[in-house]
Amino acid sequence: MFDRLFTVLFPFFLKRKGMVLGVVIALSVAAAVGLAFIAYEGNLDLMLPPDPEVTRSIDFLRDSSLSDKIIISLALTDAGKGKKDLFLAADQLAASLTPPFFTKVVAGFSMTDAMDEFSILQYAPQVLGEEDLASLDKQINPAAVSDKLRGIYRQSLRPESIFLSALSRTDPLGIKMLVLDKLRALPASMGYDVVLEDGHFVSRDGRHAMLIVQTPVPMMDGQRSKELVAALESRLKELPGFLRADIISGHLHTVSNERVIKRDITVATLVASIGFLLLFFFVFRDGRSVFVILFPLLAVVWSMIIAAAIQGKLSYLVIGFGTAIVGISDYGLIVYIAMKRGTDISQMGKLAKLVFIDAITTIFSFVVLYFSQIRGYHQLALFSILCLGICLLFSLFILPLVLSGKRFQLAADPTVGDRLKNFRWPVKLTLGIWSLVTVILLYASFSVRLDSDVKKLDGSGPEVLQAEQTFHEVWGGKANQAIFVVTGKSLEEAMETNDRVFRDAVKVVGREEFTSLALFWPSERHRKENRDRWDLFWKQGREQSLKELINGASGAYGFSDRAFSPFFEGLYDQGGDAARPGGIIAQLRERFVVQKNGEFRIMSFFPDEQRHLDSLSALTKLYPGAFIVSGKALSSSISAFTTKEMFILAPLAVLFNVVLAWLFFRNWKETLIALVPLFTGVVWLLGILSIFDMPLNVVSIVAGIISSGVIVDYGLGITYEYRRNLHFGTVMAMTLSALSNVIGAGALLFAQHPALFSIGVAMVISMTAGYLSSVIVVPSLCRAMATSWQEPRLGQERPGLKVP
Amino acid sequence: MMTNAGNTIRAVLCLAFCLLLQTVPVLADERPARVAQETADLKPFLDELGRKVSDFKTLKTDFTQDKEMAMFKDKLVLRGRIYLEKPNKVAWHVDAPLRYSVLITDKVIRQWDEDTNQVQEISLAKNPIFQNVLNQLTVWFSGDYSSLLEVNSVRIVKHEPLMIEFIPLEKNISKKVIKSITITFRDDKKYLQQLRIQEVSGDVTTIHFTNTLLNAPLDSGSFEVKGHV
Repeated sequence: MFDRLFTVLFPFFLKRKGMVLGVVIALSVAAAVGLAFIAYEGNLDLMLPPDPEVTRSIDFLRDSSLSDKIIISLALTDAGKGKKDLFLAADQLAASLTPPFFTKVVAGFSMTDAMDEFSILQYAPQVLGEEDLASLDKQINPAAVSDKLRGIYRQSLRPESIFLSALSRTDPLGIKMLVLDKLRALPASMGYDVVLEDGHFVSRDGRHAMLIVQTPVPMMDGQRSKELVAALESRLKELPGFLRADIISGHLHTVSNERVIKRDITVATLVASIGFLLLFFFVFRDGRSVFVILFPLLAVVWSMIIAAAIQGKLSYLVIGFGTAIVGISDYGLIVYIAMKRGTDISQMGKLAKLVFIDAITTIFSFVVLYFSQIRGYHQLALFSILCLGICLLFSLFILPLVLSGKRFQLAADPTVGDRLKNFRWPVKLTLGIWSLVTVILLYASFSVRLDSDVKKLDGSGPEVLQAEQTFHEVWGGKANQAIFVVTGKSLEEAMETNDRVFRDAVKVVGREEFTSLALFWPSERHRKENRDRWDLFWKQGREQSLKELINGASGAYGFSDRAFSPFFEGLYDQGGDAARPGGIIAQLRERFVVQKNGEFRIMSFFPDEQRHLDSLSALTKLYPGAFIVSGKALSSSISAFTTKEMFILAPLAVLFNVVLAWLFFRNWKETLIALVPLFTGVVWLLGILSIFDMPLNVVSIVAGIISSGVIVDYGLGITYEYRRNLHFGTVMAMTLSALSNVIGAGALLFAQHPALFSIGVAMVISMTAGYLSSVIVVPSLCRAMATSWQEPRLGQERPGLKVP
Repeated sequence: MMTNAGNTIRAVLCLAFCLLLQTVPVLADERPARVAQETADLKPFLDELGRKVSDFKTLKTDFTQDKEMAMFKDKLVLRGRIYLEKPNKVAWHVDAPLRYSVLITDKVIRQWDEDTNQVQEISLAKNPIFQNVLNQLTVWFSGDYSSLLEVNSVRIVKHEPLMIEFIPLEKNISKKVIKSITITFRDDKKYLQQLRIQEVSGDVTTIHFTNTLLNAPLDSGSFEVKGHV
């Protein structure tokens, strides 16, 4: 049926050469113009599995207050400058960061306001619980009270008493110690090792100031992130020369990733194109060989337009694959070489069949990706299938039109391919070495690592990572924090749940390991309970007891009768216990509370360690809507999902190739021989990665699957050449194809983006191994199997195809 | 007890910080124009005065500190000695009513009292507030008065003996606690005679300096804190 269809279509195009070429040129120009209107995205989410937990975690991180912050660390670089200069510059920078990109800048807290908010008699009754009051109760005895008063007396004799005596009058029992335990969560809630000085966040060494900037720009919005970063950089240029700024922001990663990928794609395309051109000009010395490269490039452009029309936005990663696609679309090469060797019209059908089956095997390796649940793979599959299909059509129907005009022949000297084809590899030695190496690599392949840490696919530039490293050296901060999230329809509902979670969580992981809003600002209900408990505590006689004890002990130190009246006068509920709008508690609460779609989520932080994850995961089951966001758990989920998918996709890809090969040959011996390069490519890839301790990751697995569709072409082509005694120059075509594939994929070895680099490694190794086995092992196997194939004699020519 | 005392100190210092620091709208000039004019006029005077008063490398002085505090029935009277060695060492020894010593350097505070008989060391890097508090005190002792113009309004109360009053401005971290500080100088204007601190709460602290010796030789024992008599 294929032959019939081809023999109808081919002459149809031949007769309308001018019109066909004109349409192709017009459509190509339109497509090139359309490229400028395509929307792109650098979102790595596309490559993540649609696992509910993974999706929820990623969505949460995107929507949380963690991703809309930019942190600026200002460092004094001049030893002659001090904090005064630092604070002045920080304030000036803060004032310059205005909407629309910057909605809020926090350079520190007003600690005088903090003292008002955290005053003993205002704050303590709301946060001290039963245990705290029990501890306080133990202090209401003669010995303890006397000890406290002596301490206050001693302190009054010291220089700092000027500033502290007012505090002592409102706190004879040292309730501040209990309060400080709660406030300990304040610096921890920052996530960094900060001190406050003169209302500014300062590092321990006193040479750095921190600004926390809020922005409405979503972290994953590439275009707006670029504008945001540009606006920020223009403000930072105005800083005085004695300051250096380090920026920590997810937006920088987005922008840097996009910049790196674009650079890599540009470089890879250039390298691949130059390599192809040199290769073809060197081998063919014919300017028209440029069409062999041009048509795949045009196919990529057409495919981008069509894929964008279907999908909307295109991923940069997917486009990055395009450079490799250009290399693996070698159908034009096969047709070109065949025509140069004088393929006549009777053999054009056979040639088309070979090219078609080559294309189908490669296309099916992308069809396999549709069985994956990962959205990015579907986009890649669509784009690649379009690319290959259009390339196939160009190669079969357009390239012959372009190459027509005059007859031309190969040079008399044997080509590289012919030399290689005619070279007789010693069968036993060849098969022996191949078997030995393959067995060794097969053994090694069982040790290959799977690295599912998607963070390693972050292609942010070194300047971004360096800034982050410098930042953490200065500011510390707890790395690798996991998040326990509780949800509620209202803030109060979420906070009440959070209080209960906190109570349960500290029992399993310890208070030191669990930073929660509940520690220093529980729910309104809980605060009221605390306040009622506090009032009852003192009204049960303790107020009177304490007064008597103080009166009894005061005499020894000369305290006045009203020394501690500020404490007793302020003891009971004076109202106004809500967090002050714009105050410190309200600001800190922002770090813990996220509101989205009418739902409130409250975060608590703990070390991202397996033992904590195990303990706290059990807790999530007790509280509906609660979940954990953990980098460790994310990696595990992705790893489990990817492994499960690969166990489906990889065998499916192999099965497709086996079935297609059998359908092509209808003979098991030839099918199996044709599949030797596929087997070699896969085993050698896994084995070499294992030996060099390079892990497999999500993208390299996909690259391997795609490569399988190309490698199988080598086996099919070489075996077919022998099978049909054809003189298409298949060995030469496969050699040039392999070279161009390796150049195309090899260009990605220069990529800075780790994902593109992984693709390059996987494709170069598998294709090289597949090619070598196809030109060395397959002919040896064929001879060993002693079929009825004939080998052409060197220099024998066939009548050529005369194309009008 | 050591732990409790240490905790108490840290707690106290932390909350002291809360009193002292506030966000500073640095670019705003909140001084009334008249005060600004007076302060500007005084700068050269204070510069000159500061040069005279700070013209020493070492200092040894006795002091009597009267504290009129609402917390106490009677006035507290402390007696002791101060040793100062530039650029950054100050030792404050209280002999009565309770023996207490504190050594302040640019990096650390070391203190002792006869009650606990424990020497405690507090890192200033970890207690920037305490550092700020003590910096203020050492400024008064060391004579760098013109630097105070930035955060205080200044007026000359009297010329003979010279008496200058410093009132914290809004941007001064001490504003909420200190109402005014009045310094009275010796007749020769080479050092302080008296330092009077009036607090917002109404408490008053007055430090009288006597037997002040400038550039007197000091031995290392002057800066030891434990059990120093």
